Amino acid sequence: MSAETVESGASAAPRKGVSILFGLTLLGLLLFLWLLLGLATNSFWTPNNISNLLRQGAMTAILAVGQTFVIITAGIDLSVGAVVGFTSVIVAWLLAAGVPLWAAIILTLAFGVLIGAFHAFGIVRMGLPPFIITLATLTSLRGIGLLITNGSTISITNEAFTNFSRADFLGVPSLFWMVIVVAIPAYVFLHLSRFGRYLFAVGSNSEAARLSGVNVHRTIYLAYILSSTCAAFVGLLLASRIGIGNATQAEGWELQAIASSVIGGTSLFGAVGSVHGPLLGAFILATINNGANLLNVNSFWQRIITGALIIVIVYFDQLRRRSAR
Amino acid sequence: MTELQEARDTRTQGLQVATRHPVPKGEPILELRALQKKYGAVEALKPASLTFLSGEIHAIVGENGAGKSTLIKLLTGVIKRTSGEIFWCGKPVQLGTPHEAIERGINAVHQEVVLCAQLSVAANMFLGDEINRNGLMRKRAMTDAAQRVLDDLGFNLPAGAVLGSLTIGQQQLVATARAAMRGTQFLIFDEPTAYLTRQESAQLFRLIQRLQAEGVTIVYISHRMEEVFEIADRVSVLRDGTHVGTRKIGETNEAELIALMINRTIEQIYHKEHFPPGEVIVETRNLSGPGFQDVSLTVRAGEIVGLYGLIGAGRSEFALGLYGRHRPSAGEVYWKGRKVEIASERVAMNLGIALAPESRRDQGLCLNLPIGLNINLPVFNRLTRGLTINGQQERENADRQIRDLKIKTPSRRVLTSAMSGGNQQKIVIGKWLSHGAKLFIFDEPTVGVDVGTKAEIYRLFARLLENGAGIILISSYLPEVYELADRLHVFRRGRLVASHDYRAASHEEVLTQAIGV
Repeated sequence: MSAETVESGASAAPRKGVSILFGLTLLGLLLFLWLLLGLATNSFWTPNNISNLLRQGAMTAILAVGQTFVIITAGIDLSVGAVVGFTSVIVAWLLAAGVPLWAAIILTLAFGVLIGAFHAFGIVRMGLPPFIITLATLTSLRGIGLLITNGSTISITNEAFTNFSRADFLGVPSLFWMVIVVAIPAYVFLHLSRFGRYLFAVGSNSEAARLSGVNVHRTIYLAYILSSTCAAFVGLLLASRIGIGNATQAEGWELQAIASSVIGGTSLFGAVGSVHGPLLGAFILATINNGANLLNVNSFWQRIITGALIIVIVYFDQLRRRSAR
Repeated sequence: MTELQEARDTRTQGLQVATRHPVPKGEPILELRALQKKYGAVEALKPASLTFLSGEIHAIVGENGAGKSTLIKLLTGVIKRTSGEIFWCGKPVQLGTPHEAIERGINAVHQEVVLCAQLSVAANMFLGDEINRNGLMRKRAMTDAAQRVLDDLGFNLPAGAVLGSLTIGQQQLVATARAAMRGTQFLIFDEPTAYLTRQESAQLFRLIQRLQAEGVTIVYISHRMEEVFEIADRVSVLRDGTHVGTRKIGETNEAELIALMINRTIEQIYHKEHFPPGEVIVETRNLSGPGFQDVSLTVRAGEIVGLYGLIGAGRSEFALGLYGRHRPSAGEVYWKGRKVEIASERVAMNLGIALAPESRRDQGLCLNLPIGLNINLPVFNRLTRGLTINGQQERENADRQIRDLKIKTPSRRVLTSAMSGGNQQKIVIGKWLSHGAKLFIFDEPTVGVDVGTKAEIYRLFARLLENGAGIILISSYLPEVYELADRLHVFRRGRLVASHDYRAASHEEVLTQAIGV
């Protein structure tokens, strides 16, 4: 190849600064939405509604963080919604079978690990595209869940478990605390540890990463296991919130998670993403839904607005990237 | 009338109205006056004035980065000129878009085939210009027409085959046939023989001469001197973006052209220091693996072992085998006298092997990540304290390599894709200097690198040798391995076929062994 590559180093903006700026823009958008809704409605800034908003956004936020790990490796995890529904069945089933709560929680999370490992196995060993293997588990996990429950739901009678999602801690809903519990280690993992760097390197050029001594297979296992485990965790939270296990729950949540991640600046081509981005993305989406409800906007419109927002935000993100070149 | 002309005539009745200005043979068909191209402050092509005569084969030679690609892109309308004028058949033209260039009859055949690998040969030849009836494609008619053209050109290729199933060389022939069909007046070949076998090259040359006989003007870009002397009527030399001269082929010789191309003596570029050979670092015995067979060689501390051969001769495959990327199927590797199994890249790295691979874009760098991350990628395990990376060490290490290697960047945070070829190569080298190694494998380290950086890289080799390392240098550019290697091994079809001490054999001898006539 003798293409002359041209030095444009001086004009390329330092990457980290831009990423912080983009984060601030999203935060600005979120605060702007909150301000706007506060002015437009009387009920937005009530403790009840804010708690509700934080609860709504929490589960998508956790899914989106897990999803982001996978997308950074230039993959995709379509199964997360199904994993949520499936694991809600698992935990309800275990509790109904008399398994102690702590063991039920650990076993459910272990199912998340197994599902993620299966995805990575399909990608690494069988050479299946991530889209296909996770699409396959998306449908089959719901099927397995329905087989277990015979098409019905399993009620959860363990009150300690179901009370958790309604509880507050320091005035903040416990579900939102769970976001923090996930986000802090996720941040350390992605931005401060070498495994985070490896995720980016594999997403950018897996062959170059491999020749630099990065264990590419292990990195892919890590990403998919984290995503599925986050989803299993959300399955626990959902089961706690609705008090039942049902395999058809969380329909379409995978798309919510991907949308949150993308709104948060993650590139579907891989190697670009953060932890704070998808969190903000998830709460922006939650705010739009919440605000639309308060304003009595038809729920069909909510979907349209969400779609339009994805286009606008990602378009501006593209513009920013192009000008940074 | 030949099938080729027929096919071409049917094209001219269709979309492709190639404006045929009859320019008598030997008169100027394309004239460049003070043509210049700047990217920001960088002058990729300094004001160049060049005339192409109708019906000639005009070779353009120059090193990587001399401005050849820029010139082609300007002529084919891929990029717009910064200043200067272009005259086509005596009239000033814009050549602002690829479409305009094709309409005027200017086409290019690129080194890397840019066609659709999943479509058939015929579909590719008619791509964008299909034969239609009532809005439906006439697949049979296209296949038949394409087959007639291919047969007529003497290519033994099936028009119905999927393009991707052919060799790169055969695909190149298809690309040429495609260009030949489209009312081409002016055809540019960009290093077309880089991936061709000798037989395919010979076929291509016959086609070029035939096109010339039919009045097509040919621009032939290459850095293989022997080809230039075989085929061209005139030759122009580019150096560092400057047009330094045009010669009739009968009035020049290889030495003059090389002097024009590099403007310095070989000794000035190839900085060679001899060190007393030390202990044996690595020895392979009858090593075989995917793409290489039965390779036995040794590398000592303080010496450069050169691997020369054509592209695809198995040198890079051998390097990847030695580095643990592909598992060798037979033979042994001894590291400092001890037998070792190199089962993975990590094992190789931990022994002390570093590999700067053949393709920076595909194997060497994470282009859309910052420079700093690329430099530190092999050493993150060393920069980790507890759970997290020591940020200060990470920054210092990146900055040290940027400083030591004089990588021209405002910051370690700049994306690697923004760097020039030479600086990208330095980043690859920086990765391995920060990791440290006893055996450095450099696979085509100076492709797409300017002369100044080349000299820097060669001086760096001397520094590594001085510190007791050994180097395997893989290159397709004979003078490079010839002048630098203490021991030169020649590869052909996956085998090591000959070995020479420093400057023990002539260029011709080495080349003949590599080609295998």
